Amino acid sequence: MEFLTTMWNLVTKYSGFFLEGVGNTLILSFFTVLLGTILGTLMATARMSKIAPLRWFAAAYIEFFRGTPLMVQLMFIFYGLPMIGITFPDVSFIPNFDRFAAGVVAMSLNSCAYVAEIIRSGIQAVDKGQTEAARSLGFHEGQTMRLVVLPQAIRNILPALGNEFVTDIKESSIVSVIGIADLMYRSKGVIAKTYNSLECLAIAAIIYFVMTFVSSRLIALLERKMSRGRK
Amino acid sequence: MAENKETIIQVNHLSKSFGDLKVLNDISTEFKAQEVVSIIGPSGGGKSTFLRCLNLLEIPTAGEIFFDGVDICSKKVDVDLHRQKMGMVFQQFNLFENMNVMKNLTIAPMKILKISKEEAEARAHALIKRVGLADKLTSYPSQLSGGQKQRIAIVRALMMNPAVMLFDEPTSALDPEMVGEVLGVMRDLAETGMTMIVVTHEMRFAREVSTRTLFLDGGTIGEDKPSKELFAHPENPRLVSFLEKVL
Repeated sequence: MEFLTTMWNLVTKYSGFFLEGVGNTLILSFFTVLLGTILGTLMATARMSKIAPLRWFAAAYIEFFRGTPLMVQLMFIFYGLPMIGITFPDVSFIPNFDRFAAGVVAMSLNSCAYVAEIIRSGIQAVDKGQTEAARSLGFHEGQTMRLVVLPQAIRNILPALGNEFVTDIKESSIVSVIGIADLMYRSKGVIAKTYNSLECLAIAAIIYFVMTFVSSRLIALLERKMSRGRK
Repeated sequence: MAENKETIIQVNHLSKSFGDLKVLNDISTEFKAQEVVSIIGPSGGGKSTFLRCLNLLEIPTAGEIFFDGVDICSKKVDVDLHRQKMGMVFQQFNLFENMNVMKNLTIAPMKILKISKEEAEARAHALIKRVGLADKLTSYPSQLSGGQKQRIAIVRALMMNPAVMLFDEPTSALDPEMVGEVLGVMRDLAETGMTMIVVTHEMRFAREVSTRTLFLDGGTIGEDKPSKELFAHPENPRLVSFLEKVL
C-alpha cells in the first residue's frame, strides 16, 4: 500500500518529467516505424532483386543488423561515426537534435533489417501457383505483384509488422544510454532525485505496457478490418 | 481431318534440364488448329514440364517453339503478349484467393486487353452460364469445391479468348465425384473447336475426346498417333506396359 502511495506521489510530482519522456519515446518510435518500414520495403525489394550484387548487399545488411546488438549499433553511430568525421548537425531550435538523430538513425537501420525479412517472408509465403496463374494470363511481373501477390502477402505481413512496431517501442528504451530524454532516461532521472528505484521502474513499466498494449490493440483492429469480406 | 488445318504451335528439338537432370530430350512435334491432344505417360516422364515449356513457365534449355509463326524462346519476344493467347489450367486451380469469382474472371481482360468493365462482366456472365456456376459470381475461391474452382479456372482462361488451351492434369487434384463435371466442361469445349493440349491421367478422356495422343516417357515422345489408333494398337513396349497398368 505504501508502495502504491509512493508511486502515486512520484507520478503527480514528476508528471512533467514522465510525460516528456513518453513524448520523446513516442516521437522516436514513430520515426523509427516510419523510416524502418520505408527502408525495410526497399531492402526487401533489393533482397528479392534479379540483380545479384543488390541481393548480396541486402542479404549481408540484414544478417549484420539482425546479428549484432542494437546497443552496439547505436553507440557505433553516435560515438563511432563522429570519429571518422561523420556528425549529425545541431539544429538550434530542437535541443539535442544530434542525439535524437543518431537514435532515430540507429533504430531505423535496425528495424529496417527486421521489416525487410517480414516483408520478404510474407511475399514468399504466397503460393507460387498464384504467380504462375497470373503470368499465364499475360500479366507482366509488376502487375502480378501489385494485383495478385501483394494483396495476399499483406495479410501475412501485417501481424508480424505489428509485432515489430511494438518491439520498436520497447527497444527504444535503449537510446537512454546516449542521453536522449526518453521515458527510460527520465525515469532514471527521477530515481536519481528520489532514490525510489522500484517505484520509478514500476511506473516506467506500466507506461511502456500501456503504450504497447494500446498499439497492439489498434493493429489488431486494423487487421480485422482488412480481412473483412474474405473467407 | 487435322492435316489441312494450320499449325498453331510448332516445337523443334525442345530440351529441358534441371541441373544435371535431363527432363525433356530433343522433342519435336506440332499442334494444329482444333486439335485436341492428350499427353499421357508415367510420372516423371516430362509431361507437365513439356506443357509448361509451351507458355514458358519453364524456360527450355534448347530448341524452338513457334507460336503464331514466332519463336517465343527468342529473347527478343514479348512473352506476356503470347501468353495472353494461350490459356492455362492448373492442377491446383490457382484461382486468385484475394478476389471473388467475378473479379477472377474480369481482371485479366480488363487490365490486359483493356476492355470495359461492362463488356468483361457481360462476357463473364455468358461464359459462366456454360459451366453452370452463374450463382457463384460473388463467392470467393475458399467457398468453392475443387470441381467448381476448376470449372471457373477454365472460364478465367477462356475470358482472354485464347487460340489454344493448355491443361496441366486438370482433374488430378479433384475428389473422384468431381472429375466428371470438369471433364464434361472440357468435352464441351472440345466440341466448340477449341485447340486443346491436355496432360492427363484420364485415359477415357484421351481415348474418346482427344483427336491425338502423345505418349511421353523418359523425356522423349514414345508414341504419337490418333487417339483411337494409339489405344487400339499400341506399338511401343513401354506404352503397352503403361496402358496395362493404368487401364
